[in-house]
Amino acid sequence: MKNFIKSIVFIIIFLIIFCCVFKVLWLGKTYVSFLIYDEPKNSSDIVYIGSSAVYTYFNPVLAYDLYGFTTCFCATGSQPFNAIKYLLKETQKYQNPELYIIDLATSIEDWDFFDEGAIRRTTDSMKFSKNRIDAINEILKYKGIDKKDYINYYFSFLRYHDIWRDITKENFTKNEYSYKGFILSPESSKNIYIDEFNWKDDIMEISAEKKQILMELIEYIKVNNLNVLFTIPIRDTNKADNAQLNYVTKILRENGFNVINFNTLEDFSVNYATDFYNTSHVNIYGATKYTLYLSKYLNDHYDLPNHNGDEAYNSWENEYVRFKQDFKALTKKDFNKILTKYSN
Amino acid sequence: MNLTSLVFLIFCIMALGIYFIVPKKFQWFILLISSVIFLFWNNLSVSTVIQALLVLLASYIFGILIDKYHDNTIKSKIFLIIGISIILGQLICLKYTNLFSVTINHILKLLHIDFQLGLSYFNSLVGISYYSLIMISYLVDIYRGACKSQKNILKCALFMSYFPILTSGPFIRYNDIEKDLYGKHKFNYDSMCRGLVRTIWGVFKVLVISQRLGMFVDTVYGDLATYTGFYTIVAALFFPLQLYTNFSGSIDIIMGISEIIGIHLPENFTAPFFSKTLTEFWRNWHITLGAWLRDYIFYPLLKSNAMQNLTKKTKKIFGKKASKKISLYLSMLIMWTIIGAWHGGAYTFIIGSGLLQFLIMVLEDTLEPLSNKINNKLGIKKEVFSYKLYQIIRTYLLFAFTMIFFRASSVGNAVEIIKNMFVWNPWVLLDNTSIYTAGLDIHDFRVLIISLTTLFAVDKLSRTGSVREKLFKQNIIFRWGMLYILIFAIVILGCYGVGYDPAAFIYRQF
Repeated sequence: MKNFIKSIVFIIIFLIIFCCVFKVLWLGKTYVSFLIYDEPKNSSDIVYIGSSAVYTYFNPVLAYDLYGFTTCFCATGSQPFNAIKYLLKETQKYQNPELYIIDLATSIEDWDFFDEGAIRRTTDSMKFSKNRIDAINEILKYKGIDKKDYINYYFSFLRYHDIWRDITKENFTKNEYSYKGFILSPESSKNIYIDEFNWKDDIMEISAEKKQILMELIEYIKVNNLNVLFTIPIRDTNKADNAQLNYVTKILRENGFNVINFNTLEDFSVNYATDFYNTSHVNIYGATKYTLYLSKYLNDHYDLPNHNGDEAYNSWENEYVRFKQDFKALTKKDFNKILTKYSN
Repeated sequence: MNLTSLVFLIFCIMALGIYFIVPKKFQWFILLISSVIFLFWNNLSVSTVIQALLVLLASYIFGILIDKYHDNTIKSKIFLIIGISIILGQLICLKYTNLFSVTINHILKLLHIDFQLGLSYFNSLVGISYYSLIMISYLVDIYRGACKSQKNILKCALFMSYFPILTSGPFIRYNDIEKDLYGKHKFNYDSMCRGLVRTIWGVFKVLVISQRLGMFVDTVYGDLATYTGFYTIVAALFFPLQLYTNFSGSIDIIMGISEIIGIHLPENFTAPFFSKTLTEFWRNWHITLGAWLRDYIFYPLLKSNAMQNLTKKTKKIFGKKASKKISLYLSMLIMWTIIGAWHGGAYTFIIGSGLLQFLIMVLEDTLEPLSNKINNKLGIKKEVFSYKLYQIIRTYLLFAFTMIFFRASSVGNAVEIIKNMFVWNPWVLLDNTSIYTAGLDIHDFRVLIISLTTLFAVDKLSRTGSVREKLFKQNIIFRWGMLYILIFAIVILGCYGVGYDPAAFIYRQF
């Protein structure tokens, strides 16, 4: 019995050290806004799932300040679209939102687009569970990865143990999200001039594989009776992508879902000269316009609670104050004035 | 199945778990099932099953027959010869057909005959060289009366295929292992701890040191046009260390696993790089292979009628002392050629791990009186540390030189590597950047310096007693602390996972 206890103690100490070591030895939360575990259990009114078009477009602390509902991000850069079913399942374990918003930006992407980084950002963000393994199996199956390499995704340390050689002070500091996951950075406050998008009404059928993934997602949502809104972010897309997104929109609408395509909204105006920091993402000004539009839409069309003034949600107010201060420090502009200008 | 792979870890946990759960009388059967799974893992085909069955049936049937007719020397000798011929025959067919074809093709080319033999690639089982020699020694031991034949064919199969030793040995003798292999074993916590420590040490050697050294060696040898001069010299110096840590590390894993289940295997290494001569080196390197060849080839050869007659004939011409040396050297030459050939069906192995070893040992033996004379005249003290260090370094350099052939893809490639060493570019070691372009960065070199220092310290300590026992005498905090350091060194610094090839055991192919 003494030996058995000794063995257990040895293993427990090992696991504790192991967890501490691999909190340091990983790539950090780069291009990730995955907060379903960070937010208090069942505290989110909305969970927004998708790619970078989530955390660079929608500012949850601004939406909270305006309407009082909380939005939790479950977003990773270039998120594989077939992961969404599993992310919904994962979210259901920790949050019970009134509404899910699913970003369709990557729904039409080919498998080449989802590189190892894109896959790992999603799967590494998920806690170890059967659902995570199922997600990995699903993503890697479509990606065509050799089955013997799946293990490197199941156990992330097989990938990250080697980054000890590139370790910096940042690896040891706590990696927390600011502004509830919204990205405010020197890059996102810049702007480039881009030509006005030539969005057409053409429709092009997506591949059978992509359609199957979409239909499986639809089925999952229906079976689980989830309230879902789909969004297509405004961005420069080519003719084929544009036509495929129209097709995805058509299928979703045929299945009774609400889809907001920001590229075709007449009452949503962005300035192509000032509101983008690259062809795929709006900058902080574009994001403010996006948030103003979407948050109003959500407030008008869904029965969402208003937590403004509730002490339990103080962190949201604090993050908004911090956001405005950081915005000013970064742009030398008053965010309230920007807001007033856009609101008019 | 790699010894350092997660699959092997899971396989071992399952096999060992079941081994201790089942009634003790079935424990050997669990080992047999595990061994069969290991043997045919990724390699199950009609051909491989026939290969295994052929050796098993030859060993089993002729073992019983030799035992039965033990009193009839002629009959038992005939059965022994048939048994050995079958085992050796399949080994030669599977491993040396190409060597034969290449040799014939060379001769035909030299004779300007426009005909070439085709090369054939047989799918041989893992550990074929090991289990073939083990089963030959089994038959010989029965013939010599050193052991009795195994009447249960399944138990005989277990002796032939005991899974931990299939990849890298050590060579086992039936008499030495019979009791442990078929015996009933109770789970023992101390044995488990000792076995695990040895296994972890083995994994450290393979994943942290050997794989890392291999990255440099592979990079340099894989691009001789880019990496010349001192790159090649460093690679040549690294390779014996890579080979040693790979081979002895896998032996540690094997011995550790066996120790957990109460099976004690013979030691295969005793700090060989502290040897002062190549002869001493080979007494400490792959000890069980040396012992096998000594007992089953060298001594029988030396004592054979042919050698005795040779000694008698040469005695008249060269004198008593020289004639004995001639027989000795001839027996050594045959034995070392076999050692070389055992390592692989290629001339690089025959030269690198056979003939060159023989040549250096003969030179060591014949030049020793001259060396002593020079030392005496110059007043060189042989008992001082500096002289011993010189001897150790000399032995290492000689071994490293022979290993150039062992590592090369062909004899021509080995010659090219040696030529490459004479390119003058010492700045690659001094300019603080060049050396880091050959597969290892500055961090890797730091890891190597620390881990090799640890390895040599442990090796040195092991010459005066078991390091493990010394560790187990320490307080629990120190003991566990050392173990955690070792485990996390493997987990963090080990060369495994994405970006690394699975640890391929250099000795596995033999």
